[in-house]
Amino acid sequence: MTLLSVSPLKIQVEVISIVVITTIILVLLFLVNRAIVKSDPLEKPKGLLLLGMIYYQMMDKLTTENMGAKAALKYSPYIASIALYMAISNLASLVGFNQPTSNFSVTLTLALITFFLIQSTKIRTNGIVGYFKGFFEPFAPFVIMNVFGTFAPLLSMSLRLFGNITSGGTLMQLFYTFTAYISSLIPIVGGFNFLGVILAPALHVYFDIFSGLIQTYIFIMLTTIFIGNELPQE
Amino acid sequence: MGDIGRGLIAVGAGLAVMTGMMTGAGQGYAAGKAVEAVARNPEAENKIRSMLILGCAIAETCAIYGMLIAFLLMFVFQ
Repeated sequence: MTLLSVSPLKIQVEVISIVVITTIILVLLFLVNRAIVKSDPLEKPKGLLLLGMIYYQMMDKLTTENMGAKAALKYSPYIASIALYMAISNLASLVGFNQPTSNFSVTLTLALITFFLIQSTKIRTNGIVGYFKGFFEPFAPFVIMNVFGTFAPLLSMSLRLFGNITSGGTLMQLFYTFTAYISSLIPIVGGFNFLGVILAPALHVYFDIFSGLIQTYIFIMLTTIFIGNELPQE
Repeated sequence: MGDIGRGLIAVGAGLAVMTGMMTGAGQGYAAGKAVEAVARNPEAENKIRSMLILGCAIAETCAIYGMLIAFLLMFVFQ
Protein backbone atom coordinates (compact mmCIF):
# COMPACT_ATOMS: atom_id res chain seq x y z
CA MET A 1 0.00 0.00 0.00
CA THR A 2 1.94 3.00 -1.18
CA LEU A 3 1.22 6.53 -0.07
CA LEU A 4 1.96 9.86 -1.58
CA SER A 5 2.72 12.76 0.71
CA VAL A 6 1.35 15.97 -0.62
CA SER A 7 1.90 17.76 2.59
CA PRO A 8 0.05 17.90 4.92
CA LEU A 9 -2.11 15.09 3.43
CA LYS A 10 -1.10 11.53 2.80
CA ILE A 11 -3.19 9.88 0.09
CA GLN A 12 -3.02 6.40 -1.33
CA VAL A 13 -1.99 6.27 -4.96
CA GLU A 14 -5.15 4.49 -6.03
CA VAL A 15 -7.15 7.64 -5.29
CA ILE A 16 -5.54 9.33 -8.29
CA SER A 17 -6.55 6.39 -10.48
CA ILE A 18 -10.12 6.59 -9.21
CA VAL A 19 -10.33 10.28 -10.05
CA VAL A 20 -8.94 9.75 -13.55
CA ILE A 21 -11.20 6.77 -14.26
CA THR A 22 -14.29 8.60 -13.07
CA THR A 23 -13.43 11.53 -15.32
CA ILE A 24 -12.96 9.19 -18.29
CA ILE A 25 -16.34 7.53 -17.66
CA LEU A 26 -18.06 10.93 -17.36
CA VAL A 27 -16.59 12.11 -20.66
CA LEU A 28 -17.55 8.83 -22.34
CA LEU A 29 -21.15 9.01 -21.14
CA PHE A 30 -21.40 12.64 -22.21
CA LEU A 31 -20.24 11.77 -25.73
CA VAL A 32 -22.66 8.85 -25.99
CA ASN A 33 -25.50 11.09 -24.83
CA ARG A 34 -24.67 13.64 -27.49
CA ALA A 35 -24.61 10.92 -30.13
CA ILE A 36 -28.02 9.66 -29.02
CA VAL A 37 -29.60 13.12 -29.07
CA LYS A 38 -28.29 13.91 -32.54
CA SER A 39 -29.19 10.58 -34.09
CA ASP A 40 -32.00 9.72 -36.43
CA PRO A 41 -34.08 6.68 -35.37
CA LEU A 42 -34.62 5.51 -38.92
CA GLU A 43 -31.04 5.06 -40.06
CA LYS A 44 -28.44 2.53 -38.95
CA PRO A 45 -26.39 3.45 -35.91
CA LYS A 46 -22.64 3.58 -36.20
CA GLY A 47 -19.62 4.46 -34.14
CA LEU A 48 -20.04 5.30 -30.47
CA LEU A 49 -23.83 4.96 -30.63
CA LEU A 50 -23.49 1.39 -31.88
CA LEU A 51 -21.12 0.55 -29.03
CA GLY A 52 -23.55 1.99 -26.52
CA MET A 53 -26.43 -0.03 -27.96
CA ILE A 54 -24.43 -3.26 -27.97
CA TYR A 55 -23.39 -2.71 -24.35
CA TYR A 56 -26.96 -1.99 -23.28
CA GLN A 57 -28.29 -5.09 -25.00
CA MET A 58 -25.58 -7.24 -23.44
CA MET A 59 -26.38 -6.04 -19.92
CA ASP A 60 -30.10 -6.36 -20.51
CA LYS A 61 -29.76 -9.96 -21.67
CA LEU A 62 -27.61 -10.87 -18.69
CA THR A 63 -29.93 -9.41 -16.09
CA THR A 64 -33.09 -10.73 -17.73
CA GLU A 65 -31.71 -14.26 -17.78
CA ASN A 66 -31.07 -14.31 -14.07
CA MET A 67 -33.62 -11.97 -12.57
CA GLY A 68 -36.72 -11.97 -14.72
CA ALA A 69 -37.95 -9.12 -16.86
CA LYS A 70 -39.59 -6.98 -14.19
CA ALA A 71 -36.70 -6.79 -11.75
CA ALA A 72 -34.19 -6.42 -14.55
CA LEU A 73 -35.56 -2.95 -15.29
CA LYS A 74 -34.74 -1.85 -11.77
CA TYR A 75 -31.33 -3.43 -11.40
CA SER A 76 -29.73 -3.32 -14.83
CA PRO A 77 -28.59 0.35 -14.65
CA TYR A 78 -26.62 -0.44 -11.50
CA ILE A 79 -25.16 -3.62 -12.98
CA ALA A 80 -24.15 -1.82 -16.17
CA SER A 81 -22.38 1.00 -14.34
CA ILE A 82 -20.58 -1.40 -12.00
CA ALA A 83 -19.42 -3.45 -14.96
CA LEU A 84 -18.13 -0.38 -16.82
CA TYR A 85 -16.30 0.94 -13.78
CA MET A 86 -14.74 -2.41 -12.94
CA ALA A 87 -13.71 -3.20 -16.49
CA ILE A 88 -11.95 0.15 -16.98
CA SER A 89 -10.28 0.04 -13.59
CA ASN A 90 -8.98 -3.51 -14.07
CA LEU A 91 -7.46 -2.48 -17.40
CA ALA A 92 -5.88 0.66 -15.95
CA SER A 93 -2.62 -1.16 -15.32
CA LEU A 94 -1.98 -1.26 -19.06
CA VAL A 95 -1.29 2.47 -19.10
CA GLY A 96 0.64 2.58 -15.86
CA PHE A 97 -1.88 3.56 -13.19
CA ASN A 98 -2.22 1.53 -10.01
CA GLN A 99 -5.54 -0.22 -10.28
CA PRO A 100 -8.23 0.98 -7.85
CA THR A 101 -9.44 -2.57 -7.32
CA SER A 102 -6.05 -3.55 -5.98
CA ASN A 103 -7.04 -1.74 -2.79
CA PHE A 104 -9.19 -3.81 -0.48
CA SER A 105 -11.37 -0.86 0.47
CA VAL A 106 -12.69 -0.53 -3.06
CA THR A 107 -13.58 -4.20 -3.50
CA LEU A 108 -15.05 -4.37 -0.01
CA THR A 109 -17.28 -1.41 -0.82
CA LEU A 110 -18.55 -3.02 -4.01
CA ALA A 111 -19.21 -6.31 -2.24
CA LEU A 112 -20.97 -4.49 0.63
CA ILE A 113 -23.33 -2.80 -1.84
CA THR A 114 -24.20 -6.22 -3.23
CA PHE A 115 -24.65 -7.57 0.30
CA PHE A 116 -27.11 -4.83 1.22
CA LEU A 117 -28.99 -5.29 -2.05
CA ILE A 118 -29.42 -9.01 -1.34
CA GLN A 119 -30.61 -8.43 2.22
CA SER A 120 -33.04 -5.69 1.24
CA THR A 121 -34.52 -7.86 -1.51
CA LYS A 122 -34.96 -10.63 1.02
CA ILE A 123 -36.71 -8.30 3.45
CA ARG A 124 -38.90 -6.84 0.74
CA THR A 125 -40.01 -10.27 -0.39
CA ASN A 126 -40.58 -11.88 2.99
CA GLY A 127 -41.21 -9.03 5.43
CA ILE A 128 -39.08 -8.41 8.48
CA VAL A 129 -40.58 -11.23 10.56
CA GLY A 130 -40.21 -13.66 7.67
CA TYR A 131 -36.62 -12.55 7.20
CA PHE A 132 -35.66 -13.43 10.76
CA LYS A 133 -37.70 -16.60 10.71
CA GLY A 134 -35.92 -17.63 7.55
CA PHE A 135 -32.73 -18.10 9.49
CA PHE A 136 -34.28 -20.94 11.47
CA GLU A 137 -35.37 -23.03 8.52
CA PRO A 138 -35.67 -25.99 8.19
CA PHE A 139 -34.55 -26.85 11.75
CA ALA A 140 -33.59 -24.55 14.59
CA PRO A 141 -29.89 -25.59 14.76
CA PHE A 142 -29.45 -24.48 11.12
CA VAL A 143 -29.11 -20.88 12.24
CA ILE A 144 -25.31 -21.11 12.31
CA MET A 145 -25.10 -22.33 8.74
CA ASN A 146 -27.61 -19.76 7.55
CA VAL A 147 -25.66 -16.93 9.17
CA PHE A 148 -22.47 -18.15 7.52
CA GLY A 149 -24.27 -18.49 4.23
CA THR A 150 -25.29 -14.85 4.51
CA PHE A 151 -21.81 -13.51 5.08
CA ALA A 152 -19.88 -15.91 2.85
CA PRO A 153 -20.76 -14.22 -0.48
CA LEU A 154 -19.61 -10.88 0.93
CA LEU A 155 -16.18 -12.17 1.93
CA SER A 156 -15.62 -14.37 -1.06
CA MET A 157 -16.58 -11.78 -3.69
CA SER A 158 -14.44 -9.04 -2.22
CA LEU A 159 -11.46 -11.32 -1.62
CA ARG A 160 -11.69 -12.92 -5.05
CA LEU A 161 -11.51 -9.60 -6.86
CA PHE A 162 -8.85 -8.20 -4.55
CA GLY A 163 -6.69 -11.32 -4.70
CA ASN A 164 -6.77 -11.69 -8.46
CA ILE A 165 -5.96 -8.08 -9.24
CA THR A 166 -3.36 -7.53 -6.49
CA SER A 167 -1.47 -10.70 -7.21
CA GLY A 168 -1.42 -9.85 -10.90
CA GLY A 169 0.02 -6.44 -10.11
CA THR A 170 2.63 -7.83 -7.72
CA LEU A 171 3.75 -10.49 -10.16
CA MET A 172 4.15 -7.90 -12.91
CA GLN A 173 6.22 -5.74 -10.54
CA LEU A 174 8.47 -8.69 -9.70
CA PHE A 175 8.86 -9.44 -13.41
CA TYR A 176 9.84 -5.87 -14.19
CA THR A 177 12.43 -5.89 -11.40
CA PHE A 178 13.90 -9.13 -12.73
CA THR A 179 14.20 -7.85 -16.30
CA ALA A 180 15.68 -4.59 -15.03
CA TYR A 181 18.41 -6.58 -13.31
CA ILE A 182 19.12 -8.65 -16.41
CA SER A 183 19.10 -5.56 -18.65
CA SER A 184 21.53 -3.75 -16.39
CA LEU A 185 24.16 -6.43 -17.01
CA ILE A 186 24.43 -5.34 -20.65
CA PRO A 187 27.07 -2.58 -20.58
CA ILE A 188 26.04 0.46 -22.60
CA VAL A 189 22.28 0.58 -23.10
CA GLY A 190 21.61 -1.24 -19.86
CA GLY A 191 20.08 1.63 -17.92
CA PHE A 192 16.80 1.34 -19.79
CA ASN A 193 14.78 -1.75 -19.03
CA PHE A 194 14.32 -2.76 -22.65
CA LEU A 195 14.06 -6.48 -21.94
CA GLY A 196 11.01 -5.85 -19.82
CA VAL A 197 9.34 -3.82 -22.56
CA ILE A 198 9.81 -6.70 -25.04
CA LEU A 199 8.77 -9.59 -22.80
CA ALA A 200 6.12 -8.06 -20.58
CA PRO A 201 3.16 -7.60 -22.98
CA ALA A 202 2.50 -11.34 -23.13
CA LEU A 203 2.06 -11.44 -19.37
CA HIS A 204 -0.02 -8.28 -19.45
CA VAL A 205 -2.46 -9.96 -21.83
CA TYR A 206 -3.08 -12.73 -19.34
CA PHE A 207 -2.98 -10.86 -16.04
CA ASP A 208 -4.67 -7.63 -16.99
CA ILE A 209 -6.94 -8.16 -19.99
CA PHE A 210 -8.05 -11.78 -19.59
CA SER A 211 -8.11 -11.99 -15.81
CA GLY A 212 -9.54 -8.50 -15.31
CA LEU A 213 -12.43 -8.93 -17.73
CA ILE A 214 -13.28 -12.38 -16.46
CA GLN A 215 -13.36 -11.16 -12.85
CA THR A 216 -15.73 -8.36 -13.90
CA TYR A 217 -18.01 -10.87 -15.59
CA ILE A 218 -17.98 -13.19 -12.60
CA PHE A 219 -18.77 -10.35 -10.18
CA ILE A 220 -21.84 -9.22 -12.10
CA MET A 221 -22.99 -12.78 -12.74
CA LEU A 222 -22.81 -13.65 -9.05
CA THR A 223 -24.56 -10.42 -8.07
CA THR A 224 -27.45 -11.04 -10.44
CA ILE A 225 -27.73 -14.71 -9.45
CA PHE A 226 -27.77 -13.96 -5.72
CA ILE A 227 -30.35 -11.21 -6.10
CA GLY A 228 -32.42 -13.33 -8.45
CA ASN A 229 -32.57 -16.12 -5.87
CA GLU A 230 -34.38 -13.88 -3.41
CA LEU A 231 -37.04 -12.52 -5.73
CA PRO A 232 -40.54 -14.01 -5.51
CA GLN A 233 -41.10 -16.98 -7.76
CA GLU A 234 -43.57 -16.50 -10.57
CA MET B 1 13.14 -10.51 13.76
CA GLY B 2 15.77 -13.18 14.11
CA ASP B 3 16.94 -15.47 11.37
CA ILE B 4 14.82 -18.40 12.49
CA GLY B 5 11.73 -16.16 12.47
CA ARG B 6 12.34 -15.06 8.90
CA GLY B 7 13.03 -18.60 7.81
CA LEU B 8 9.80 -19.81 9.33
CA ILE B 9 7.89 -17.04 7.59
CA ALA B 10 9.29 -18.22 4.28
CA VAL B 11 8.33 -21.81 5.04
CA GLY B 12 4.81 -20.68 5.90
CA ALA B 13 4.51 -18.77 2.64
CA GLY B 14 5.59 -21.84 0.73
CA LEU B 15 3.05 -24.00 2.49
CA ALA B 16 0.29 -21.49 1.80
CA VAL B 17 0.75 -21.70 -1.94
CA MET B 18 0.17 -25.46 -1.88
CA THR B 19 -3.55 -24.82 -2.13
CA GLY B 20 -2.92 -24.60 -5.85
CA MET B 21 -2.37 -28.35 -6.07
CA MET B 22 -5.95 -29.48 -5.97
CA THR B 23 -7.08 -26.48 -7.99
CA GLY B 24 -4.99 -27.69 -10.92
CA ALA B 25 -6.44 -31.17 -10.64
CA GLY B 26 -10.00 -29.91 -10.42
CA GLN B 27 -9.78 -27.50 -13.32
CA GLY B 28 -8.11 -30.11 -15.51
CA TYR B 29 -10.93 -32.52 -14.73
CA ALA B 30 -13.47 -29.84 -15.64
CA ALA B 31 -11.73 -29.19 -18.94
CA GLY B 32 -11.78 -32.89 -19.72
CA LYS B 33 -15.50 -33.09 -19.10
CA ALA B 34 -16.00 -30.03 -21.28
CA VAL B 35 -14.15 -31.64 -24.17
CA GLU B 36 -16.28 -34.75 -23.76
CA ALA B 37 -19.45 -32.65 -23.80
CA VAL B 38 -18.40 -30.90 -26.99
CA ALA B 39 -17.65 -34.26 -28.58
CA ARG B 40 -21.15 -35.39 -27.77
CA ASN B 41 -22.85 -32.22 -29.02
CA PRO B 42 -20.68 -30.11 -31.30
CA GLU B 43 -23.30 -27.43 -31.82
CA ALA B 44 -23.32 -26.22 -28.22
CA GLU B 45 -19.64 -25.34 -28.27
CA ASN B 46 -19.97 -21.64 -27.39
CA LYS B 47 -22.18 -22.26 -24.39
CA ILE B 48 -19.94 -25.01 -23.13
CA ARG B 49 -16.88 -22.81 -23.50
CA SER B 50 -18.35 -19.91 -21.54
CA MET B 51 -19.58 -22.22 -18.80
CA LEU B 52 -16.14 -23.80 -18.59
CA ILE B 53 -14.38 -20.46 -18.20
CA LEU B 54 -16.89 -19.30 -15.59
CA GLY B 55 -16.59 -22.48 -13.54
CA CYS B 56 -12.81 -22.51 -13.67
CA ALA B 57 -12.52 -18.88 -12.59
CA ILE B 58 -14.80 -19.47 -9.60
CA ALA B 59 -12.90 -22.59 -8.55
CA GLU B 60 -9.66 -20.66 -8.88
CA THR B 61 -10.46 -18.56 -5.81
CA CYS B 62 -9.02 -21.30 -3.57
CA ALA B 63 -5.61 -20.96 -5.18
CA ILE B 64 -5.90 -17.17 -5.12
CA TYR B 65 -6.60 -17.16 -1.38
CA GLY B 66 -3.43 -19.17 -0.83
CA MET B 67 -1.34 -16.88 -3.02
CA LEU B 68 -2.73 -13.85 -1.20
CA ILE B 69 -1.69 -15.25 2.17
CA ALA B 70 1.77 -15.98 0.82
CA PHE B 71 2.12 -12.43 -0.51
CA LEU B 72 0.95 -10.99 2.80
CA LEU B 73 3.51 -13.04 4.67
CA MET B 74 6.36 -12.19 2.33
CA PHE B 75 5.79 -8.49 1.90
CA VAL B 76 4.21 -7.28 5.11
CA PHE B 77 6.06 -9.33 7.69
CA GLN B 78 9.28 -9.74 5.72
